[in-house]
Amino acid sequence: MNFDKIRCLIIDDDPFILELLQDKLDQYFPDIIVLSTASSGKEGLQKIKELNPELLFLDVEMADMTGFEMLSQLSDINFQTIFITSYSHYAIKAIRFNALDYLLKPIDLGELKKAIKRFKTQTNTRPQQENLSLALKNMANKNVSNHMLILKTQDGDLRLALKDIIHIEGDRNYSYIYLKNGTKKLVTKTLIELEELLDSKGFYRCHKSHILNAEHITTYTNGNLVQLSETISIPVSRRKKKPFIKWFQSYQDSN
Amino acid sequence: MHWNTKIINPQDLINIARGDHKIIYKYLIQFQELIPQRIDSLKENLKVEDRKGIRQLLHQMSPQIQFFGIMDLVKPIRQLELDYETMPIEELNTLVETVIIKLNLAINDVNSVIKENF
Repeated sequence: MNFDKIRCLIIDDDPFILELLQDKLDQYFPDIIVLSTASSGKEGLQKIKELNPELLFLDVEMADMTGFEMLSQLSDINFQTIFITSYSHYAIKAIRFNALDYLLKPIDLGELKKAIKRFKTQTNTRPQQENLSLALKNMANKNVSNHMLILKTQDGDLRLALKDIIHIEGDRNYSYIYLKNGTKKLVTKTLIELEELLDSKGFYRCHKSHILNAEHITTYTNGNLVQLSETISIPVSRRKKKPFIKWFQSYQDSN
Repeated sequence: MHWNTKIINPQDLINIARGDHKIIYKYLIQFQELIPQRIDSLKENLKVEDRKGIRQLLHQMSPQIQFFGIMDLVKPIRQLELDYETMPIEELNTLVETVIIKLNLAINDVNSVIKENF
C-alpha cells in the first residue's frame, strides 16, 4: 500500500480519455496513485464505495448518467472532484457557476498540473464539498432565483443567492456586486465573465458597466435609466435600449 | 519511428509516449479500433437523421481527434456540436460526410504508421 500517495479514481466512458489521463498521471505525478478506472456512472459508484478515493476525475457526460447525477446518488461525498468535460458542453456553465474545478478534454498537461496543485493546496476540503453540494441543489431547483452563485475571492468562496443580487457594476478586472441588504461585494471577475454566468438566469447587461437583475426592476419607462429600487437607478445604453425592452418584455411574459 | 502521415500530427502522441514505443502503439491501436466503429455509427445516425446521436458521437470522438492533431476536423466538429439541432439537414449531411472522409484518411495514416513501425 502507498499511504503517502494521493488516491484517485477516474470515471469516464471514453476509453481514450481513461488511458490518456492515467498515462499523464503515471508519468508526471509520482505522488498520485490511480486506484482504478470506471467506464460508467454505475461502475463509478461501486468503485467509489469500494476504494474510498481522495480525488475523483469525473466525466460530466456519460452514456448511463451525468457526473452530477452520479454524485447525487451518494449519501456522503468525502473526496474532491475534478470534472472532465469538452469545451462545448453546456455543463461548463454550471461548473463555472458553482466554482467547481474542471479540465477540458483532451487533457492539457499544464492545466492538469494546475488542477493538482489546487487540490494539494486545499488543506480544508469542506468548501469544495459544500460547493459541490450546492451545485447539486442548484441543479435540482427549478426556481433560478433561489440558485446560489459561488465566486472565488481572496477571502474564500463567496456564496450569493441570485435573488439577493440587485445589480453588478464592472470596474476593469473587478466587479462590484450590489446586494439587497445594502452591502456590496468586490470580486475579481470581469463583467463579461459574470454576464456569461448569469445571462440565462434573469440578468441582463444593459450597459457596458452594468448588469441588472430583472427581479429587482421597479420602473422602466423607455428612458435611459432603469429603476431597481427606491434609491438605485442604472443607465441603459442607447445601443442596448431596444434589445433591453424586448428582453424585459419576454422576461415579464415568462414570469 | 517513421511518421509519413498526411492528416494526423503525432506531436501529442510523441510527447505522451516520451520515447516508449509501447505507449505509441497502444494509442494507435485504440484509434484503429474505436474510430471505424464510430464512423459506422455516424453513418447509421446520418441515415435516420438522428441529430442528437450524431452530436453525441462527435462529442465522444472530439478529444481523440484533437489528440491526434487532425486540425482539419476541429472546426467542422465544433460547428456540428453547436448547431446540430438547427442546421439544415443538407448542410449536416455534407459536414458529417466531410468528417467521415477525413477520418478515413486518418485511419489510413494510422494503418501505415503501424505497418511501417511495429
